[in-house]
Amino acid sequence: MIRFFVYGIPVLLVALLVASFVTVASFSTDRKNELTIGSIGEPTKLNPIQSAESGASEVEGFVFEALLQYDANLEITTQLAKSFTLSQTTTVFFQDPAAAAAALQLVEAARPSWSAWSLQAARTDGQRLLLDLTLPGMEASAKIFSLFDPKTALPLATLRVETEKARATLEDFQKANPDIAIERSWFDYDAAFEITVAGEGTSVEERLKKFLTGTGNAQATAAVSETRNFLAEPLVHFVLRDDVRWHDGAPFTSRDVAFTYRAIMDETVASPRKPDFDLIQKIETPNPYEALVTYRKPYSPALNSWMMPLIPAHILEDKPASWWADNFNRNPIGTGPFKFSRWKTNESLRLVRNDDYYQGPPWLEGIVFRYLPDPISIRLAFMTRQTDFWGVSPWAVSSLLNDSRFQIFRYPANSYEYVGWNLRNPLFQDVRVRTAFAHAVNGPQMIEFILYGNGVQSNGIFPPHFWFSNPEIKPIPYDPAAAARLLDEAGWKPGPDGIRVKDGKRMAFTLIVNQANEVRKDIATLVQDNLRSLGVEVNVEIYEWAVFISRFINKLEFEATVLGWSTGPDFDVYQVWHSSQSNPEQLNFVGYKNPRVDTLIEQIRQEYNPATIKAMAGEIQKLIFEDQPYLFLFVPNSTSVIWKDSFRICRPDGKGGFMDTPVEVTKAGWTYYMQWFYRPEFAGKLPPKREVRP
Amino acid sequence: MITFIVRRLLISLVLVFFISLISFFIITLTPGSPYPWGELNPKISESVKANFRKQFHLDEPIWKQYWFNMRGLFTGELRSIKDGRPVLERITERLPATLALNVCAIVIALSFGLLVGVYSARVAGQWQDTALSTVSFALLAIPEFWVAYLLIIGLTEWFAVPLMGTVSHGIVFPNALASSLDWIWHLALPATLLALGSVAAQSRYVRASMLETLREDYIRTARAKGLPSEKVLYHHALRNSLRPVITGIGGLLPALIGGAVIIETIFAYPGIGRLGYQAVLERDYPTLVALNFITAVLVLLGNLLADILYSLVDPRVRLE
Repeated sequence: MIRFFVYGIPVLLVALLVASFVTVASFSTDRKNELTIGSIGEPTKLNPIQSAESGASEVEGFVFEALLQYDANLEITTQLAKSFTLSQTTTVFFQDPAAAAAALQLVEAARPSWSAWSLQAARTDGQRLLLDLTLPGMEASAKIFSLFDPKTALPLATLRVETEKARATLEDFQKANPDIAIERSWFDYDAAFEITVAGEGTSVEERLKKFLTGTGNAQATAAVSETRNFLAEPLVHFVLRDDVRWHDGAPFTSRDVAFTYRAIMDETVASPRKPDFDLIQKIETPNPYEALVTYRKPYSPALNSWMMPLIPAHILEDKPASWWADNFNRNPIGTGPFKFSRWKTNESLRLVRNDDYYQGPPWLEGIVFRYLPDPISIRLAFMTRQTDFWGVSPWAVSSLLNDSRFQIFRYPANSYEYVGWNLRNPLFQDVRVRTAFAHAVNGPQMIEFILYGNGVQSNGIFPPHFWFSNPEIKPIPYDPAAAARLLDEAGWKPGPDGIRVKDGKRMAFTLIVNQANEVRKDIATLVQDNLRSLGVEVNVEIYEWAVFISRFINKLEFEATVLGWSTGPDFDVYQVWHSSQSNPEQLNFVGYKNPRVDTLIEQIRQEYNPATIKAMAGEIQKLIFEDQPYLFLFVPNSTSVIWKDSFRICRPDGKGGFMDTPVEVTKAGWTYYMQWFYRPEFAGKLPPKREVRP
Repeated sequence: MITFIVRRLLISLVLVFFISLISFFIITLTPGSPYPWGELNPKISESVKANFRKQFHLDEPIWKQYWFNMRGLFTGELRSIKDGRPVLERITERLPATLALNVCAIVIALSFGLLVGVYSARVAGQWQDTALSTVSFALLAIPEFWVAYLLIIGLTEWFAVPLMGTVSHGIVFPNALASSLDWIWHLALPATLLALGSVAAQSRYVRASMLETLREDYIRTARAKGLPSEKVLYHHALRNSLRPVITGIGGLLPALIGGAVIIETIFAYPGIGRLGYQAVLERDYPTLVALNFITAVLVLLGNLLADILYSLVDPRVRLE
């Protein structure tokens, strides 16, 4: 008996191990008609309005759909919307109806200019003059406003009140002050409200403050946040597709659009998408296939926010956030080409073909995401054909280029790496010093050493492949002599130990970088080395990410740091570059301040004309580049590898037929046509081809 | 005996309270705070951040946060900051995988530990014993992650066998036997690596204890009676040499549920160790609080169990 324990069990275990090894090693290479992706970033919740990480959007992109999307060239096109049109209503307030009528006559008299202003119609409503414009923006409205006698027009004041129970507070205030005409109201969760009234707003502010103290609400604040000459309210009119169904069979309608917006604005949902939707005044749904979105002011990046996937009202409405977390977020229902099937946390997530997809079922039976902890396991899983796709680190690319087993896709990433100088520090306040550093760092060599050539030098805040990026800006060339000259000019002369000195102060600083990022640690080393030969002492310090952010970056207590930005093709850089965003916890942590850039950043958000946007974005990029608040380093390439000939694409050619091509890379990446991928060995067993309705 | 257990349980209660208190402060006072929106997301406004802190009580004083966490832990309402799901659910859904891995590792550790220990004792002083000792000490000294990577790279380079996770992906399994052997294969490697250190340690305990027993008078008496040496070895000597193994089982209790961070991460194994590791990186306080609490309770229970087992197998020990 006891001898069996001593000898029998080990023998049994070894036998089992050998048997399982033999079985696993003998598995045939028959693959399912599926695509398996190895990924490090596992989603936390599969709910597009509650998740903000790339791992989640990777999955959500197949399950959910949005009103708008990027096409293969990263230009905006429709998805669940059939079409959309932009327009604007501008409202001007006058002292009395007579003044409004007089203003209307002035507008009527200027009829020849109407088309230049894109003005369609003008009418009065009591003291108000309403102008319907086909193009949103401030410029035309400002021109029309200049026709009027400013003494007869009333300004419009917006007041912001921060208080607990904002909704109830505003209701009580209105009851107590029925004589105050509130033109617009808007709630920031239940924690604040904004109201717009005609006039300077100072008297309303007084009465609000009195009311708040009267109700014992000591912590509440009220202040005029903005005064405008007129209200410019853009309108987006979406016409929706009428042939779309959710995965449970319920039809997709405008109710889902309105619900998604309401959910985002709900504090219990805690959506990170809310800032994109803060400027919406209201959403109206006159019928199931139309949605009208009214904005509080012109804000052109708002259109991009409708690329956010929509969630189903018939499932989620009236359910608490905990129900979302326990049910929907791990078992999502969307309208996309693939349906959610199963999620084993920390292991894999499986999507299956949606046979009722309105463009016809996708060719693949399923997509499987495998969640692996690090780049090594991703590589091993790919090499043992456990996954079909490998996102390769830059340093591994060159060894694959000539390997005939693979097909390789390379495209520029939507990101750039930089060294940020804390401009509050006297050392970095001289632009000559910052430019000297840029000359001293050998950019091409850095790309060669760190990325093995897989990247381009950055020429400012927008990667060169964005449509509004300025191609005239050239990266600062590597020129140690020019760097030395600039530092000499700025008064930094070499000291006895080789380190430059000015007014008895040595040119030495600490460069901080975060722990887990190999690329950034390498950058720090090269910068340290390059600057040492210029006579600058750089101490590199490495911290864990959370410590790095909370102790140094958020508190603005650093001298220089290596970081990077990942961004969509978004020209709105307010959070990163506007001078108002340079306080602790904000993202202009280098403390960049340039009044001209501030103005441009404010203006570009109100501009809808692509040509003007391109010109303004180009100027913003140029001005910031000249100031060198960052040392702009490089835009890396993304590299993806698949096994050669493991997939083909058969996609609609736009003329009613289909075209069969190898897998190819688009500006939007190589997965753009995923719904039309198939394995060649399954070519005869695919679902029947269906005509694709545009 | 009963009074001893009751007294130990009462002491444990006080201990658990202090452990939970100290570990909570260590967790929350670590620099950094939860930031569930990727890296430095420009789109996140102040009101979104403030609302997030409010939803998870992060804007409250720390003693109040402790109270909320502990209350939530006992009512089952404690939710993870990461995905909003109850933490107990997040932990229990990983239990099967973790239990399978650790039970497997313990079986390997005990059985091979016994085998090697008994064998070393039989050949004590000969070259085989010296060789096994060297290997054992080497296994104790070499970090397991290093062995793990060598093994993984070797297996994938030479045999191209699937590793990582709990099952192979994208292949059509011919039958149920193949898929269960596939599961066993994915379990075997991490379990073996997890057990390597314990095999070495266990075998040392068994060897020492066995050699000590073999020098006892009653063994000499048994031999003098003319009993076959096999019978003396396995029947008389081994039984009494098992004491360190049996009492050691109590110490294995926390390891049964507690995760193996390194091995689980290397093998992409979806166990509790990886959950805890990710929770640390993400500053997911509720999950960490729950994991720490469960581990503390298991360690204390394991110690108690070890003491009780010891008194059962060794009559010389009395629990008062």
